[in-house]
Amino acid sequence: MSALRVLVIVPAHNEEESLPATLAELRRRSPGRDVLVVDDGSRDRTAQVARECGVPVVSHAVNLGVGGALQTGFRWAVRHGYDVGVQLDADGQHDPGWLDALLEPVLSGACDVSIGSRYVARSGYRAPLARRLGMMLFSSVVRLTVGQRITDTTSGFRAYDRDVMEICQHDFPKDFPDAPLLIDLARRGFRLAEVPVEMRAREAGRSFYTLSKSLYYPYKNMLASLMVLLKRP
Amino acid sequence: MEFLSRTQLITALAAIGLALYVLDLVRRRRLSEEYSLLWVVASVVVAILGFSTPLLRAITRALGILYEGSTVFLVGLAFATAMLLHVSVKLSRLGQENHALTRELALMRYDLERLRGGRPQPATSDDRGGAA
Repeated sequence: MSALRVLVIVPAHNEEESLPATLAELRRRSPGRDVLVVDDGSRDRTAQVARECGVPVVSHAVNLGVGGALQTGFRWAVRHGYDVGVQLDADGQHDPGWLDALLEPVLSGACDVSIGSRYVARSGYRAPLARRLGMMLFSSVVRLTVGQRITDTTSGFRAYDRDVMEICQHDFPKDFPDAPLLIDLARRGFRLAEVPVEMRAREAGRSFYTLSKSLYYPYKNMLASLMVLLKRP
Repeated sequence: MEFLSRTQLITALAAIGLALYVLDLVRRRRLSEEYSLLWVVASVVVAILGFSTPLLRAITRALGILYEGSTVFLVGLAFATAMLLHVSVKLSRLGQENHALTRELALMRYDLERLRGGRPQPATSDDRGGAA
């Protein structure tokens, strides 16, 4: 089991403030992990800060978004011979203490992608009403389209096995790393599973989901989810 | 030459002007030949419709349109839609290529920094004997 090599991929965009704490916590709570920071076109010292923490950094010249950063991470992982990639947000909302739980189903081969979920029983997360409604909406979209119940479609705390990384390094619904990605993966025959985890509020920086995006996001994501179904698998 | 209205004459002349401008853009290498073809074809078609009133009348009747001017607008609108779609497709591809290049550049820069050893990249377990 332990022969499988795991890479923690940390997509970071202007996260110089929270990155050191996130990396330090990762080292403390889950020691000995290989880490890659994908600096997604940051304008601050994100890359420098990560290097000072002793972590390899790959830097995008321009900002591509979380999906693009993840794709670069996959490609790097595949090139460097890793078997499993874990996505961990730089802002500190993912608790590295849950890494083992998240990795378990992927390492044991029970699934290809495991999703750290805030909403599955056991985790006490209560989201704002609007967020819960959106989450229910996309949860149903995923269930209707791929016949599987995924409660936390927007969770960025996920583990991917080598097959997924191999394929996604070239072909990825990069602009929509949420519900559309899950539908896309399920349609390609990858097995998804949810693992209950706890998440925290962000340490610093702004959430990707700002107010102006909160109306546009559901519309865009809904359309993209339906478009994914049209694509040839 | 018979003209239905002054509008028709103006439209036809404008179409010729547009075609000439497009050709000039190509000559100055500001517009690639690929795009110029569509523009030239569209403006020539509009110009023909503008100058040849019998043809415009025939097409208008065949399409069941009441007013000849609408036919010219229809052709223009159809062209604009086709052009926009064409540009959207091109933009999508450009975006994908740009995206892929950015990712590849990032990975190559990483490799380069490691090879140079100038700004050393921290080691991973990979360097202790993993498959590359």
